[in-house]
Amino acid sequence: MIGKRQRSICKTAAFGVASALVLTGLTDAASAATIASLNKPALQDVTINVAIAYPAPPKAMLAAFTKSTGIKVNYSYIQWDDLQTKIAAAAEAHTYFADVADVDWSKVGEYYETKWFTPLNKYFNVASLPAQYPQIASFIRDGELLGMPSDVSLLVTDVNTKDFAKAGITKMPTTFSQYQADLTALQTKGIVAHPLDIPFAAAEGLSTYWYETTAAFGGQVLSSTYKPEFSSPSSAGYKAMAWMVAAYKNGLVPKGNLSLEDYQGFSDDQAENLTASVFSDYSGDVGTVYDVASSSKVVGQIQYIPTPGVSGPAPNLANPDGIGIPSTAKNVGAAVEFIKWYDEPANQAAFAGAEGSSNSISGFPLPANTGGLAQLVSSGKVPGAAELANLAEHHSRAIFPAGAPPWYPAFSNAVYTNLHSAAAGQESVASAISAITSQVSSLGG
Amino acid sequence: MKRRLGRLARVAALVLVVVWSVFPVYWALKTSLSTNAASQSTPVQWVPGHLKLTAYQALFGAGPESQDAAGGIARSLINVTVEASGATVLTLVIAVLGAYAFARLRFHLKGLLFYGVIATLMLPVYATLIPIYRIMADLGLVDTYTGIILVYTSGFIPLAMWIMYNVFMALPLSIEEAAFIDGATTMQSFRKVALPMARPGIAATAIVTFLFGWSQFIFPLVLSSSTSTQPLTVLLAAIDSRNVPYTIINAAAIIAVAIPAVIVFLLNRWIVTGITAGGVK
Amino acid sequence: MGNPHLIGARSLVRGRRDGILPYAMVAPLVVFIGALAIYPTVLTVTEAFFHSDPLTPPNHFVGFGNFSAIFANSQVRHSIENTGWYALFGVVLTVGLGFGIALLLQRPFRGRGVLLAVVILPWALPGVVEGVIWSWIYSPTFGVLNSGLKSLHLIGQYQLFIGSHQIETILLISLVQVWQITPLATLLVLASMQSIPDELYESARVDGATWYQHITRVTLPLVRPAIAIAMAEALVMSVNIFDQVYVLNAAATTGSSLMSQTYFITFQDLNFGQGYALSLFATVATILLSLLILKVVYRKVEYS
Repeated sequence: MIGKRQRSICKTAAFGVASALVLTGLTDAASAATIASLNKPALQDVTINVAIAYPAPPKAMLAAFTKSTGIKVNYSYIQWDDLQTKIAAAAEAHTYFADVADVDWSKVGEYYETKWFTPLNKYFNVASLPAQYPQIASFIRDGELLGMPSDVSLLVTDVNTKDFAKAGITKMPTTFSQYQADLTALQTKGIVAHPLDIPFAAAEGLSTYWYETTAAFGGQVLSSTYKPEFSSPSSAGYKAMAWMVAAYKNGLVPKGNLSLEDYQGFSDDQAENLTASVFSDYSGDVGTVYDVASSSKVVGQIQYIPTPGVSGPAPNLANPDGIGIPSTAKNVGAAVEFIKWYDEPANQAAFAGAEGSSNSISGFPLPANTGGLAQLVSSGKVPGAAELANLAEHHSRAIFPAGAPPWYPAFSNAVYTNLHSAAAGQESVASAISAITSQVSSLGG
Repeated sequence: MKRRLGRLARVAALVLVVVWSVFPVYWALKTSLSTNAASQSTPVQWVPGHLKLTAYQALFGAGPESQDAAGGIARSLINVTVEASGATVLTLVIAVLGAYAFARLRFHLKGLLFYGVIATLMLPVYATLIPIYRIMADLGLVDTYTGIILVYTSGFIPLAMWIMYNVFMALPLSIEEAAFIDGATTMQSFRKVALPMARPGIAATAIVTFLFGWSQFIFPLVLSSSTSTQPLTVLLAAIDSRNVPYTIINAAAIIAVAIPAVIVFLLNRWIVTGITAGGVK
Repeated sequence: MGNPHLIGARSLVRGRRDGILPYAMVAPLVVFIGALAIYPTVLTVTEAFFHSDPLTPPNHFVGFGNFSAIFANSQVRHSIENTGWYALFGVVLTVGLGFGIALLLQRPFRGRGVLLAVVILPWALPGVVEGVIWSWIYSPTFGVLNSGLKSLHLIGQYQLFIGSHQIETILLISLVQVWQITPLATLLVLASMQSIPDELYESARVDGATWYQHITRVTLPLVRPAIAIAMAEALVMSVNIFDQVYVLNAAATTGSSLMSQTYFITFQDLNFGQGYALSLFATVATILLSLLILKVVYRKVEYS
């Protein structure tokens, strides 16, 4: 009656629970051993967690790193927005999640205030960096180096040379009015129905597009004390926003772009020959997004041009990615080694495609340092590299002269949501501008 | 004649229901098996011309467009399986024990405890996300299977317990009463009589819980910092960015839905039992 | 499935001394819920009344300060209004469709089992994945919805469905969630329909009722409890909608929801105190609304 059957049910349940716990226990025993080994003084057999928003470096290169330093790399490729969530969650809970993590140019102000990342001044000779790293300024705040640049990235203008030729435009526009006229010509001659590519989704890519357009109109969005410089209708920022919204409403931009984020916009429109120009594209898209035969219809047709400003070439704003060491990191020494390795000129050049696409990182812009840039240019494997290197070293400046404000994400959110609403016709440009202005003042600008 | 029309209308309606349920998945599948050019044609191709496995190859690191996001897909499949299964086993054990007590036993605080547990069903994710992260961090369980399983379990228990409660309540008292008359203790009655009769309900709860575990997104996003524990949903979010071709994004989506789809088609009877046991008073 | 109205355990343990056993059986349950659900919630509730923002330390008590700040924020107000629409569409469409499909599946027929499996499919898939799949369907450049409508000559050129108009955007995003949770409503109503005795339909037929009257006079009143529960569950899920909004609407104000707004306030603006406050508001609203629905719609049904 009672006995075998109930015992066996009991046993099964117990077995189930036990095996589940054992399974997890085993894996955790393994990771516990790893954590224990991190406290060893030598760097042998150390494992670090790296969380960056780009795909991992080629396996062979990582293996070579492990072989020469003894450091194993546990690499996580996490999408940018999700990665920021994780950084915030871990930091707020004061817990460890990675030894090396993404430090975006836009977060440097925030990290300076919150102290979520360890200053790197002890490990890198800050005084010598500006000569080697064109975009280092974005990562230094009040003398503190909060991350090392992991690439050079610019906001650049590119055009489809074939479409321009078809419209009879032989000389590339050098001023903004010429650019505008050329776009109109493309439209009226029927070459491209909606020639301008602006990704109008309410996301970060729209904000940076506006900053670059503001630079083309001859101004900047925030002063060095973070006061808004776009509030008056005669200011560069106001005019830039008005121009972008009008371009959408007048059909210069495809209607569908209201829901496209930056990369979607570039691969859906420009790479499909549905548009002829991106006014504020990301450096590095030529050679990658536009030149992969299986997914692009415009291979070989897209070229960078100096950004046409209202009175001549405009600066190309810098939006570099960086890597840094969270304050909760467990093995700072190994993390530093990894950063140094990642930034080695030869490796940077390889990531950008100097050794062919099989040994590169998909979507990687330009090498972070002059050494890497030089190697990339001389390899001749990446189209447009020479022009970009030139722009990066001589025509680029930081988006904010004083570095990104600590409340940058909230500011950018105000920018892209209001700019998006204005384009969608839900509010006027004037009310969008005043909404952003009041947000800046409530944030402390 | 009227009957015929009525019949026809019903069949038409059923066809619509099937299309409505299946079409999006079909569409993702079709896109994942097309070439990039074909997937972006206007107008669309309803049936793929040439079937290409390049998208899947790319996800697993082979083929010309390799997108093997740091060896992610295979590992994340393993992760999600371990996490969902572990949470299911643990949840079941705890929920079944508790549900039986609530259904069959009398004790002080029963009402309070019962409604306290059920009330947590109403909590949105953010009510507990950061504090839970803190707790797991203090216990050193971030980015471990154990930590994730414990958190999942705490989230799945209320519903599992509610379903099992209804299952036990629906069992005829007479058989258990007979066992009592025969001198069985409560535990013996539980193990020998109630559990076997409740097996379908337990199976149903297990399947429903497993499916919930498979779908988790926000918690593992925050609790799993590396490929060693991150599940497929988190990886899919990572892939759905940058300029990854739509064929590959859809291929990853299909991989993410393959197992739940198989479970639905093989085990739908149990799922139905589980859901209805959870809903009907 | 047994008598649905089994009254709970009373006689079973009368006169027995189980003593500590019930507590032992519920102990693991209570520990888990206490430690990982109740305790964190208490933390959240208390932190909602503190200024908690790593950009401007230290944390300090602000009473209702967080609440007044979030309600003064126009983006939050938009998201509250939007969420009202999400709830409306979510509940009406889910329960309406669920009831309709349950009607179609009410009587057994060949292949009903397979059909049931097909109907359940969307419910079993992760929300994030569904968001991705549907965003491809809605694509303004390559989407099949555009292509289909154009081929049927219902639209002249490809439309932008998501993002330009508030109600249209919300409806289409809500549709993805409806797609996901309708199976739940279907099953709840269907199960309840199985308990309806055939005699009632028989007598209705004898009285000369049309099929429409069969539904309104017999079915509907008797499945009312199931409908109430389906409505309450649809309400909770639509008020908390996040995954689909995150994928299809990102950070735009047009289709934002309470939960997506909470996410951005917490993880982007890093204003954790306000994030907790908004979560608390959402929780309380959800509980009150579902209790309201149950109060109004639920009626106990007993078969003698």
